[in-house]
Amino acid sequence: MGKKAGEESRQLRKGRAAVAAQGGRAARWPVIAGVVIIVGLVVTIVFTVVRSATTDTTAHPAASGPVMPPSGAAAGAMLLGQADAPVKLEVYADYMCPYCGRFERANGAEIAGLVGDGTARLHLYPLAFLDDMSNGTRYSTRAANAAATVYDRAPDKLLPFNNLLYEHQPAEQSSGLSDNQIADLARQAGVPPPVVDAFDNATFEPWVAQSTQAAFAAGLEGTPTVKINGQVFEGDLYTVGPLTQAISAAAK
Amino acid sequence: MPSILARFRNLRHADAWIYGTMLFSACLSLLASFVLSIDAVRLAANPNVSLSCNLNAVVSCGTVAQSWQAQLFGFPNAFLGLIAEPVVITIAVASLAGVRFPRGFMFAAQVVYTLGVIFAYWLLYQAMVNIGALCPWCLLVTVSTTLVFATLTHVNIRDDNLYLPRPAQQAAARFIDADLDVIVMTIWLLVLALVIVTRYGTALFG
Repeated sequence: MGKKAGEESRQLRKGRAAVAAQGGRAARWPVIAGVVIIVGLVVTIVFTVVRSATTDTTAHPAASGPVMPPSGAAAGAMLLGQADAPVKLEVYADYMCPYCGRFERANGAEIAGLVGDGTARLHLYPLAFLDDMSNGTRYSTRAANAAATVYDRAPDKLLPFNNLLYEHQPAEQSSGLSDNQIADLARQAGVPPPVVDAFDNATFEPWVAQSTQAAFAAGLEGTPTVKINGQVFEGDLYTVGPLTQAISAAAK
Repeated sequence: MPSILARFRNLRHADAWIYGTMLFSACLSLLASFVLSIDAVRLAANPNVSLSCNLNAVVSCGTVAQSWQAQLFGFPNAFLGLIAEPVVITIAVASLAGVRFPRGFMFAAQVVYTLGVIFAYWLLYQAMVNIGALCPWCLLVTVSTTLVFATLTHVNIRDDNLYLPRPAQQAAARFIDADLDVIVMTIWLLVLALVIVTRYGTALFG
């Protein structure tokens, strides 16, 4: 121990002697430069924190009000397609759920095709149980309300809008898309401006909350969940093909 | 004033401070690895839940844990922390008690831990750029691994354990004696903080 400690201080002394030999002045410049960089970084960090704390802090209080379903909706679902279609296709999804995004990317076009050609009647449940993942901005609820508003007043634009929402899906623990970004996507999908303006009324938020509760009370475990004629589809939801085949089989 | 500064510098190069910091950081890293390992085991036990957002998913739907990067070697990365950090803790505790490890041993520890740090930063990059999700425990691993690396490097340069050519060893010793390593580490951690704040700022403070 004693010998080792001596060795250490010998090393230390050697180093100090080397610094002293340089006159100390050469060694001071890097320190000054370093301190300047450190101060610059601290200022930048504080600036960034303050800026991110002050932007996008629109209040998003939970909506309270009468439960009003969008017209055409039934039992918490938005119905699309011909009423006499042979297959009842139920999709439970939350716009914040990354796997719902993967599901939409794989099957969105296929589902639109099957609904369009009269094979399936889509029951789309816009759920909002992942509100806690958007840092207080309740992205799931805001997106679901926007979708319900589009369904209420421009139902033929729902699937394109739904697709765009998932294409631009925010990451978990981000603040989600802002209300303006959601409105931009709706306009891109061809939703008429008066309908887009109605997003802010949050008319369907109580309905979304109620149907979310009802879905989980009825035994739903997570999203995405897909049912074909009432049976949970157990196949691969994330590649193109298996779901389409199962729906086509159920249609025969 | 100079005497306070001198005392501060003596403390900084003392075993108690270096190995104490190493011990603390390694314990943090072990804790984070432990939490992440439990998550990974739970995820593996529930394959039905693993590809959906469950009602009980509080913090995230587990996209980071689901990624291929999370199991680069075929098992959860966090297991590596469970293997490596207890070794660091042992080194730190033994050294605090006065044990001196052979040069080759400390050199090997430096090599392995350097690989670990590189891996930790590769994972951070993957999580931020390719996965896009926040994983608080993973961030704790990154920070604590950096601190362990800094203390290990500090002590190995101080004790000349790295088999460096003489001029390089002397330059490194001068570097540390001029306290430039503190400045480099401060800048390193601040850059890390800046990157995180820039990327997740609105999520964290918005």
